Amino acid sequence: MAIILIALWFIQDFLQVMLMGFCLVPDLFLVAAIFMAIVHDEQDDRHIALIWGAFFAGLVWDLRWTNLPGLTAAVNGLSIAAAWLFWHKSPAQGRSTLLFAFTLEAAQLFSGVVHSFFWTAPGGVAIRQFMVQQLIGVPVLVIASFLFWKGFDRNV
Amino acid sequence: MQTLNREFRTGLHGVAAVLAGCVIFWIIVSSSGVHNSLVDAVNAVLYYPELPSLELRNIIKLSSNWVLERASLQDRVSQLEVNNQSMKAELQRAGIPVPVQRASYLTARITLRYPEEWWRELRIDRGRKDGVREGSAVVSEGYLIGRVTRLGDNYSWVELITSSTFLIAAAVDETRDLGVVNGDDKGNLKLLYVPEDRRLRNGMKISTSLMSEQVPPGIAIGTIIGADSAKEGFLPMRVQAGAHITQLYNVEVYTASGAKTEWR
Repeated sequence: MAIILIALWFIQDFLQVMLMGFCLVPDLFLVAAIFMAIVHDEQDDRHIALIWGAFFAGLVWDLRWTNLPGLTAAVNGLSIAAAWLFWHKSPAQGRSTLLFAFTLEAAQLFSGVVHSFFWTAPGGVAIRQFMVQQLIGVPVLVIASFLFWKGFDRNV
Repeated sequence: MQTLNREFRTGLHGVAAVLAGCVIFWIIVSSSGVHNSLVDAVNAVLYYPELPSLELRNIIKLSSNWVLERASLQDRVSQLEVNNQSMKAELQRAGIPVPVQRASYLTARITLRYPEEWWRELRIDRGRKDGVREGSAVVSEGYLIGRVTRLGDNYSWVELITSSTFLIAAAVDETRDLGVVNGDDKGNLKLLYVPEDRRLRNGMKISTSLMSEQVPPGIAIGTIIGADSAKEGFLPMRVQAGAHITQLYNVEVYTASGAKTEWR
């Protein structure tokens, strides 16, 4: 689990290096962390470890990319906790692929909005960056939802 | 009961993560030395793993720009050659010796530009080992975009002219009036300390004035586009930057390697 998350963090970082100045990459790491937090065995506390793992990963991301140390860390930790609570508060019958996709999209949107709030980039540039990031995030969401549907959707 | 505890604990950890993030932010930001050291350490660790991505990015960028930029750059080079020849001829006619500059421009790539510090600073991939010095002028397409403020062996941080803490002596090309160019952290530039009785017009060009060895005089900055209201006998002029500061990929750093200018 940790190796997959570390690998995804680096993939996200490498993609951001390649696309720097063009657009912001979607938060692959956060999507994967929420995926793992949601689908794990309901009796263990792996999601707590994921909250703090994502917190640390977010802190390193902040020191590399955002200049607001603690922002991505806090957003990651809160997003995983909120996604887990939302998922487990929902009735078991309703925990479908659609709800899973909605949970991931809400987290992506929350993360994007919080970050864009702190940008000093010109208005047009900021809106374009935000929109492109969310649009590029759609295929990531589709892939994650497909994996969930194939492996974990108990309503299939 | 156990489920309730799990949910409560999860919420508690989420809130704790937010609080921890706020505390870290407060601690790091309140000590800029610690902040800069941590940022530089993380960037140093990631420098080599990220190198292939950076190279790939530049290959793609240069390939796509090559065709588009070639024609306009050729025109510009031709124009500059004609200007240079006519100036040399004038200097010879007047008997003024032609200066031999022991300085050059070093091409650098932008490796980081925070969205939160968009108008204030960026990082480039050239540093002390490449001959960059603190205070070196940084230009893009012949226009000043900033000055080196912090140095590492392989990287430098550049303060942009649009930063509110950036101040640089500048002259109006047409009238030789002197002033100070200053940014506002929002992408705007002003030429300050010009006496209000001076008759500066829109369209006049601004360039650097003699300031230091690292910032040579005559680097174009931008064009006057208007005036604000006069204060204490001075008329702040609004200036449009010549460089496309929102679209920077590569820049040139002025390196005065020979220190002094020789004359022949």
